Amino acid sequence: MIKWFKSDKNIWTLLKRNISKGQMTGYILSNIIGLSVVLIGLMFYLDSNHSTEKEDSFFSQDFMVLSKRVDGIGFEPVSFSEEEIEELKSQPWVKKIGQFTSSQFSVKASIDMGGHGLSSYLFCESVPDDFFDVRPRDWDFDPQEGFVPIMLSKDYLMLYNFGFAIPQGLPQVSENVIGAVPIRLTLSGPDHFSETYDAAIVGFSSRLNTIAVPQSFMDWANQRYGGEDIGGEESNPSRLIVEIDRLSSSDAHKYLEEHEIEIAGDKANDGNISRFLRASSLMVTLNGVLISSLAVFILVLSIFLLLQKSKEKLRYLMLLGYSPAEIGSYYERIVAVVNLIVAIVALIITLSLRHLWTGQLKEIGLGDASVFPLISATIVYFILITGLNVLIIRRTLKKDWQN
Amino acid sequence: MINEITLKQVLPCVFKGMEDTERIRTSQIWEVPSFVFNKGCKICIQAESGCGKSSLLSFIFGNRSDYSGQILFDGKDVRRFSVERWCDIRTRNIALLPQEMRLFPELTVMQNISIKNDKTGFKTEAEIMGFLERLGIADKRDALVGKLSIGQQQRVGVIRTLCQPYDFIFLDEPVSHLDETNNRIVSEIVEEEAGRQSAGIISTSVGNHLLLTSPQFVSL
Repeated sequence: MIKWFKSDKNIWTLLKRNISKGQMTGYILSNIIGLSVVLIGLMFYLDSNHSTEKEDSFFSQDFMVLSKRVDGIGFEPVSFSEEEIEELKSQPWVKKIGQFTSSQFSVKASIDMGGHGLSSYLFCESVPDDFFDVRPRDWDFDPQEGFVPIMLSKDYLMLYNFGFAIPQGLPQVSENVIGAVPIRLTLSGPDHFSETYDAAIVGFSSRLNTIAVPQSFMDWANQRYGGEDIGGEESNPSRLIVEIDRLSSSDAHKYLEEHEIEIAGDKANDGNISRFLRASSLMVTLNGVLISSLAVFILVLSIFLLLQKSKEKLRYLMLLGYSPAEIGSYYERIVAVVNLIVAIVALIITLSLRHLWTGQLKEIGLGDASVFPLISATIVYFILITGLNVLIIRRTLKKDWQN
Repeated sequence: MINEITLKQVLPCVFKGMEDTERIRTSQIWEVPSFVFNKGCKICIQAESGCGKSSLLSFIFGNRSDYSGQILFDGKDVRRFSVERWCDIRTRNIALLPQEMRLFPELTVMQNISIKNDKTGFKTEAEIMGFLERLGIADKRDALVGKLSIGQQQRVGVIRTLCQPYDFIFLDEPVSHLDETNNRIVSEIVEEEAGRQSAGIISTSVGNHLLLTSPQFVSL
């Protein structure tokens, strides 16, 4: 049998005459633009929602420090009761809760700087070690060695360097320099029994808004200097650290608002930035959806026009024994190929434009999200739009048969 | 396979209210209690223009359903047939050459024929060429149908209609634009082809009718 005999090229020859190249190009171009905007918005959203920071991720976006709101002047310590902690634990957005342990003894730190003695009463806190991703070196305490590592908030260093040192005529210091400064910690309990230990600042956290010491040290010291009478308050921490489940974190703010719980430190700002980024990517995505919907509208209109224009031919083909489904399959193939081209080109455009924002996002510790959701979204888009088109083609042809 | 096509009191909707007129009362098909086309029949339906010949063929071919009464294929009411069933009937049981032929002017003679033959795979290219040669249009195989005369188009239409198996072949004024020689050739080919499948031939005409051997004449 000769080749053309079995092929369906005659039908192609017949049907393709009515396909307007202008309309098709218009659809392809507008939909590539629309879908690219959607995908760019989505990729940007994914990137701005994805933290790259591994180091110092203590209190990064996945963590929040919570404390209760203090009204007026409170002499009663504001703390979380056991029931409140249990209730927090049961919230869907809470992955893990850690309690801040505060010192129940007084701490006096003294520094000897070239003959200038400097000493101050301090406070310190600790959180369970699980809440550190990367712990500074020597982040442990051994009573035998008697060395206490301390982690400071970066804000404190900034306050000293820019707020205090300059007007007082004191030298400004870098993180490295301050780490090398030997500190003497004098701990004393309520019965004025006191001992002195060597200490040093081993790390700075941009998000940890406290003076932190290892949990092992805190437990040991509270026991040794805390005494019976204060020990009872141990179970009521005033600050909590919570690892949050980002997926359901939108509920978190509402819950905290209702229970008068505050989020400490720059965590909230961080959240604001990422919320702002997410909101702007949402706007971009919405624009893309709008453009894409218009483009899809053009395609649907083109299909209607095409089928209308070809109506007579289609009727003739049906009289020759071609079923609406068979005839439809020619149009369905065209639509599928066109949508596939649109999807692939838009995906390529999105991925090649991604570098435009990755640099800037990296500076604030975001970006590098997986492209898997992007590809899935493209596939879902392709299936949905092609499905819609196929549905329209079949319904129109069925109507043609009946008329 | 379809062995008989029965018309029971069939009347086009446009003739509603005209049941008592001379035209309908004298008709051997419209509004009769039962009219049967048997497989193997040879019938020439004669009627003046506007009597509903083409409508009748469209009703039988499932192309229109604006009629009252019933059309039965082996006792089954065609109104209940699904789209798939009709497509099957149109490729295997009933062939129709419409009066206006419904060729695609933008395709060549061969493309027009093979668009049907691709579907059925009934004839070889050589057989198709044989038909074209007998009808004197073999040199037109690659010419666009839109450029052919009506008479030439009519011959292309006949050949295309033959490119499928059938139990009945309906030809609506197939030779209206043909001279007697070509009419005779068309008649021979149709009788040969239908005879090979023991199919019924139903041809309509206003004047120039298909020259079948001993046909039954029916007036509409």
